[in-house]
Amino acid sequence: MKMRNIKTIIGREYLTRVKKKSFLLTTFIVPILFAALCILPSVIMFMAKDTGKKVAVVDQSGIVMPYLVDTDAVDYQDYSAEPADSMKANFEEFGLDVLVIVSPLDTAAKTVSVSSYSPKPLSMELKEGVQSKVNDAVEDYRLALYDITDLKQIMEDVKANISMSTYTMDESGEEKITSSEVYMIISMILSIIIYMFIAMFSGMVMQSVIEEKASRVVEVLVSSVKATELMFGKIIGVACVALTQFFLWIVLTLVLVGGFSAFVGFDSLMGDPAQTEQMMEMTAQMGGVDMAEMTAAMQEEEGLGAVLSTLKDINWVQMIFAFIIYFALGYLLYASLFAAIGSAVENEADTTQLQMPITLPLMLAFFIALYAFNAPDSQIVWWGSMIPFTSPIVMLARIPFGVPMWELALSIALLVMTFGACGWLSAKIYKIGILMFGKKTTFKDLWKWLRQN
Amino acid sequence: MGLIQCKDVCKSFGEKIALDHVSVDIPKGKIFGLLGPNGAGKTTLIRIINRITIPNKGEVLFDGRPITQDDVEKIGYLPEERGLYRKMKVGEQAMYFAQLKGMSSREAAKELKKWFVRFGIESWWNKKVEELSKGMAQKVQFITTVVHKPSLLILDEPFSGFDPVNAQIIREEILRLKEEGATIILSTHNMESVEELCDNIALINKSHVVITGGVDEIRHKYGNNNVELVYTGGELASVMNVFNVLSDQDDAGRHTAVLELLDGKGGNAALSAILAQGVTVNSFKELVPRMNDIFIKLVTEEE
Repeated sequence: MKMRNIKTIIGREYLTRVKKKSFLLTTFIVPILFAALCILPSVIMFMAKDTGKKVAVVDQSGIVMPYLVDTDAVDYQDYSAEPADSMKANFEEFGLDVLVIVSPLDTAAKTVSVSSYSPKPLSMELKEGVQSKVNDAVEDYRLALYDITDLKQIMEDVKANISMSTYTMDESGEEKITSSEVYMIISMILSIIIYMFIAMFSGMVMQSVIEEKASRVVEVLVSSVKATELMFGKIIGVACVALTQFFLWIVLTLVLVGGFSAFVGFDSLMGDPAQTEQMMEMTAQMGGVDMAEMTAAMQEEEGLGAVLSTLKDINWVQMIFAFIIYFALGYLLYASLFAAIGSAVENEADTTQLQMPITLPLMLAFFIALYAFNAPDSQIVWWGSMIPFTSPIVMLARIPFGVPMWELALSIALLVMTFGACGWLSAKIYKIGILMFGKKTTFKDLWKWLRQN
Repeated sequence: MGLIQCKDVCKSFGEKIALDHVSVDIPKGKIFGLLGPNGAGKTTLIRIINRITIPNKGEVLFDGRPITQDDVEKIGYLPEERGLYRKMKVGEQAMYFAQLKGMSSREAAKELKKWFVRFGIESWWNKKVEELSKGMAQKVQFITTVVHKPSLLILDEPFSGFDPVNAQIIREEILRLKEEGATIILSTHNMESVEELCDNIALINKSHVVITGGVDEIRHKYGNNNVELVYTGGELASVMNVFNVLSDQDDAGRHTAVLELLDGKGGNAALSAILAQGVTVNSFKELVPRMNDIFIKLVTEEE
């Protein structure tokens, strides 16, 4: 193979793609979406806070009203004197947001029922606020019925609130506090990204092979360069497009999220600015898909500690290298197979049948990876991370949970060998396929081509 | 010695034999016609010369030594099934093809500009191929085939897609390139162009070479001693052992007849026999068979 030719081919494949409008569009729109996903949950939380809601209460039980204490968000007004029906009928005249009706006390069941009426659906916060307060009222009422002195105090004393701390131990015996949710989220994001990239860009290679064949450019090309040079030049060229897009996404997302936080004062929401920054880097890298869950976890004091400790504890260097290596190898493997399929057909409609044996393992890999989030140590996940057709995606899902070096090495070695073999076979099919016209190609034909020299 | 010598080349695809012990010698600086019906194996032979396909047996010599991948840069190939990237700009595309043939980008730009000016199509440089008509795209394609000054040009049906005016321009360019020293392999079904342009031919049918040699030589070889005679003043009759009248058309006293000369007697004997019949001879000329007839005759004989 001639390097100069391959370079020329890579150059064309790369430049024609990055100069396309669709490339620029996806490159800029996706980070905006990513950033929106990072930022939106906090914005929504901020915006969704009720302020100064006027809630009319008709307390027919007589025990609830004292518990409904005004807050910044809610202003409870006592309309217990009014009959419930007329309140409902004349609701609008009072300029109220919500009407809450508490039923008379059911002394037999020792409970009340509560209903609310409002023109707009209630916010979760308001609903839960009222519910819990009514609950408190009923509980206190029941406690009082037992007529035991200080019963409430006793109840408080016996209440136990235990949560398990999860630690991982490394060989030195050092214990580290971890958060398994964080592992799950990172693992999920990594495998989704790698699956998306492999599927998208291998598909792009196939499309481009079909285009060259259908437009008959290919015969002119192979009279200048070898078919294998053309195939690998194309595969590498598209890989460069993928990497460019990936890095632009990361950079642009960071810039957007960073810009937003500087503008709104993200850290006022998050607390310590140093932590915030670290968080933002993280969320950006992860695409921020599960920000809401993260923030939820962070709201608990010990949760935040665990998250940060987990983040610090993940072997980032290993993870980044693994991502690059598995993306490169997984892409090379699938792209060469897709190139072979593309060479065998004359238009995209004909690919469905031939690409089945390739898309199936790719999809299987994705499903195994989904399983890996919950059970990273299961048998199927282990095998999935070794078998070359699924390993790029499944191994990436395993990585945040920690993978022994020898397993990584074995999996990568298997992947390299498989790519070598598949690349060679694909090149054989490609060489013959691109010059075949007329007859629809079957698996039998592919087999025949493989045996020709 | 020929620029390209194919020696005993065999190629089969599975059960199907595409070339069966094919040997041709393509002389340097000449135009060589590669003829044959569809599916005879011409394209396979061309692809083998181009090193797109590797033969099962036999070898191809380029300038006397086995052809290598490096020699491909000295070849310009215009396939019958050709095309350009539709979404790419004409200029960028031409640059790309030129660079794949080993030209530096500066050299490619310079040479391409020359050709674009020669064809008067400078304004197309920044157009996308999909904006061009078929004939316009063919012109661009021709330029990309010849821009790297190949010493061997392989043109498969080069005139298809051109109107008569542009076909003539291409014909002149081919002759000019020959004059500049290029060797040209012309594969075509258009026998008139073969007679007009080719110095030598090879006729391939059913995977093997039926005949190869100089065009004039072959035409005379397949000539059957017929002459065309135009005469007035009477009606000619066959003369035993001298000539037979094969046909005679009478157009108001002016006759056009085809005579078959017999027994290797030359034109002189026939002429005296004709004059002896008291007719006036207006013209008397040898009838050389058309390449078209030879083609049909050889191919159908094989059936």
